[in-house]
Amino acid sequence: MATAIFEQLINGTMMGSIYVLMALGMVLIYGVMHVLNFAHGVLFMTGGYLTHLFFFNLTGSYPLAIVLSILTLALIGVVLEGVIFRPLRDNLRMQIVASVGLILIIQNGVIQLWGPRALQMRTSSVSSLVKVGQLSFTMQHFVIIAVVVSAVTALYLFLTFTRLGTAMRATSQHPEAAIVVGINPNRIYALTFMIACALAGLGGALLGPLFLIFPQMGDAPMLKALSAIVIGGMGSIPGAIVGGFGIGVVESLSTLVIPSDYRDTIVFAILILMLLLRPWGLFGVRVRGEH
Amino acid sequence: MKPSLPLIAAATILIFGALAPVIFSGEPYVLYVLTLALCYAIPVIGMNLLYGYTGLVSLGHMGFAGVGAYTTALLMKSAGLPFVPALLTGAAAAGFVGLLVGIPCLRLRSHFFIVVTLAVGMILFTLFNNLDPITGGAEGLPGIPRPQGFTLGSFVVEFRSVSGFYILTFIITALVFGLQVLLVRSDFGRALSSIRQDETLAAARGVNVFGHKLLAFVLSAAIAGVGGAMKVLFLRTAAPLSFELQESINLIVMLILGGAGYLIGPIVGAITFVALPEFLRAAAEMRLIFFGFTLLIVARFAPRGICGAVVAGTRILSRKDKNLVRHS
Repeated sequence: MATAIFEQLINGTMMGSIYVLMALGMVLIYGVMHVLNFAHGVLFMTGGYLTHLFFFNLTGSYPLAIVLSILTLALIGVVLEGVIFRPLRDNLRMQIVASVGLILIIQNGVIQLWGPRALQMRTSSVSSLVKVGQLSFTMQHFVIIAVVVSAVTALYLFLTFTRLGTAMRATSQHPEAAIVVGINPNRIYALTFMIACALAGLGGALLGPLFLIFPQMGDAPMLKALSAIVIGGMGSIPGAIVGGFGIGVVESLSTLVIPSDYRDTIVFAILILMLLLRPWGLFGVRVRGEH
Repeated sequence: MKPSLPLIAAATILIFGALAPVIFSGEPYVLYVLTLALCYAIPVIGMNLLYGYTGLVSLGHMGFAGVGAYTTALLMKSAGLPFVPALLTGAAAAGFVGLLVGIPCLRLRSHFFIVVTLAVGMILFTLFNNLDPITGGAEGLPGIPRPQGFTLGSFVVEFRSVSGFYILTFIITALVFGLQVLLVRSDFGRALSSIRQDETLAAARGVNVFGHKLLAFVLSAAIAGVGGAMKVLFLRTAAPLSFELQESINLIVMLILGGAGYLIGPIVGAITFVALPEFLRAAAEMRLIFFGFTLLIVARFAPRGICGAVVAGTRILSRKDKNLVRHS
């Protein structure tokens, strides 16, 4: 039993770190721009496909392919923000419509380019196993956890200690006051989308080799990340991190007790309970009349 | 009284809809697509009550549609109940689940209500997908019987053929549409509109905000249940994939595409959403991509949907006419 729990803890932490990447992107976009980006899952998927493309057709090196796909997605993020989401700020309903439009375009575009079948990308980090006691995990498990922890730390340092990061937090806390002190909000919005899309792309690039790369691979991580940011508290970055890891670990551990088919039921039941009992989340601040 | 534009549009759609089997008698594919579109139009009408008139967005409505669908399917398949009582029981079951969900969840606002409905829809989907003894699991329930036909004198009415089932779906859609008109034009409907426009003001004027929201939610869930039931009767199999999150999102997109808050918005939206990609055969594989761009354009330039764009267009045109008269 103890080994089974340990195995699920490692698996859960690995999946949780993927959710954290997605949740951080979504929470940044929500916190700064009040946009709920339902299309975040297809950006994740695009990250997987781009890494596959760069790995096999351009570089042959997995880390280099990841860096290239992150850069491409950052660029895509800037374009998406400027062309689609900026005109739709504060228009929640049309953001949903635009997100669905984006999902249709990107998902079917990927099917056009790569075909509907799942792609495989076995990097050396997936083939090599790490033995821990009686259990063995792929190297990729630990690569994912390590990369995510460093990415989160880097993001934290950026937001806390740089001028640009401070400007981002200022815009999120009070847009008008941020303009008064000379911050150009449009640049901050573009930057936010850029970072969020890069994080989603990193997630797809990391998870792609471990599982398969297919057009719907981003759907489940997006939903889990959405749950994570609500449980953690909409707009709260520590909340997104705790929520993401928490959901990953809880859904993995739950498979020890109940059939794994009901894994999603557990996650969404927790989400509903949280919304009913404490809609401002674990780390959010209660604002009267907002929930 | 001069007949208004919506009235003319509604009458045209009604006549065209009823005559569709005659017009397209040689083309069962067209009727097939139209029937499917109407199966979506019904839950979208429910959505219109909830979103278009009350201002609440639900991303879990296909979950309620699924409750209605599985209830109706099981009653007709296993219990051998006739169509009408089975359909009404299905609607009641969907409404009841809506009531159970609505009582705790309707206290939440904007994003939070959307997320909670999404979660409810996902849970209902995992139940459809995994409660194998009841729902047949991922493979679904095959072999659901079509409603029994009957004879009126020498006139035989049957619902097994494509055109027969189309007529049945058309009648059900027309009834649900009629219900929508009655509800929207009643005091209840006006109260819903007042809630959408300003909840605090509505409460101050004595509208029971929570009670009205709850009733609107239950009604729209029940209507969605009718739509789900028609869909599985049409496809003759109840599969969980018909009731997944993507389908719930599609409902809200159809409504916004057609025009939320317009009576015929749901019909226009559902037919456009289902039929347009099907008939864009020239674009073949690219049609969904093309459709994605259409949605982006609607989101950016026609926030009140097709109906809103048409209304705005006619307003501009009639203004020009008046100018011409004045100058001549």
